[in-house]
Amino acid sequence: MRTDQLVRRAQRGDPGALATLVDELLPYAGRICGAVALDAGDDALQETMVAIIRNIGSLREPAALRGWVRRIAVREAVRAARAGAGGVGGAGRGDRRSTPVDPAELDAAAAAGGPGGGSVAPGGAAGATVPDGAAAVEVRAVLAGLAPEQRAVLVLRHVEGLHEDEAAVALGVAPGTVKSRLHRARAAFRTRWTA
Amino acid sequence: MTGTGAPWPVAGLDRIARLRALAAGLPGSVLREQVLDAPFDDVWGFVGDIERSVPAFDRNVARLAIDDRDGDRLRGRAWAPHVPVPFRYDMVLRPGWCWMTTRPTLHVVGMAAEPDGERTRYAHLEALVVAGPPPVRALARPLLAAGRRLLARHVADDVAGVVRHTGGRAPWGAG
Repeated sequence: MRTDQLVRRAQRGDPGALATLVDELLPYAGRICGAVALDAGDDALQETMVAIIRNIGSLREPAALRGWVRRIAVREAVRAARAGAGGVGGAGRGDRRSTPVDPAELDAAAAAGGPGGGSVAPGGAAGATVPDGAAAVEVRAVLAGLAPEQRAVLVLRHVEGLHEDEAAVALGVAPGTVKSRLHRARAAFRTRWTA
Repeated sequence: MTGTGAPWPVAGLDRIARLRALAAGLPGSVLREQVLDAPFDDVWGFVGDIERSVPAFDRNVARLAIDDRDGDRLRGRAWAPHVPVPFRYDMVLRPGWCWMTTRPTLHVVGMAAEPDGERTRYAHLEALVVAGPPPVRALARPLLAAGRRLLARHVADDVAGVVRHTGGRAPWGAG
């Protein structure tokens, strides 16, 4: 079934369409919630799916489903991370003074990782390649040192492959804010990754 | 946290949590959760055999027949006692998950199970559904609210039936 048909059926309260929608959106929302909320990721994902199911009727344009889900997932993940892990945010806030980086180098790393990839750490190109399958714990540990808002911007840029303008829409902030958060997050990521 | 082997952490929902999320979108739904003192394989070995299990634990179903299977998608019919005309159901049946919707859409049944050591967490959802544009659904809300009260008793009976057929004791967790 096409996405627009599925959304229209779900908006009419069709339980089969609601169940299919949950099946189809879980992997996508799970990537955002997991990387942003970390230990609180499963709780964030539950809240995200509840919000999607409750509010699907408010989605005017079915083609906008993915962006709508992205905004909900980011919001719930940041909220869950803030509520669930005081120590995590504290560690990240300290890194906002972290070392300057070469944006060109980091964009090269982002391009190598690509949308949905993640085999290259966003903190650096040379010497920061993540060995597939072996580095999940290490990436997680580095992410845990960042504030939820920094993780969110990294996920949107490096996992979702969004441009800064698109990330700004998802985060509900100005593009300049995304740019500065991304700069700080990449710097913090690289500092921790190479520490 | 559910890992996938990819470097970035990925979150996941177990089947019980999926059922909770779906309940949030069905205003006429009743969801009951129970910890069963039996292993998952025993519980789902019973519940997942829906042609046998549903008539055994649901006193409103005299017979259930599966007419067509396409992977995990099934079509079937269920007969209420002393009613010659069956309800037709579209179903999704997987290990630990069953989602049944009548055609036309009036009633939905969801059953989910997750292993919990030697025990099993089981959740059972039933809902009356009025599908249609928002004004129609808004008009139906009082009807659904009244139906929920009846469904609550019915779902409690169904869960008690599942407990009875899967080894008896439910140590805690009725909700």
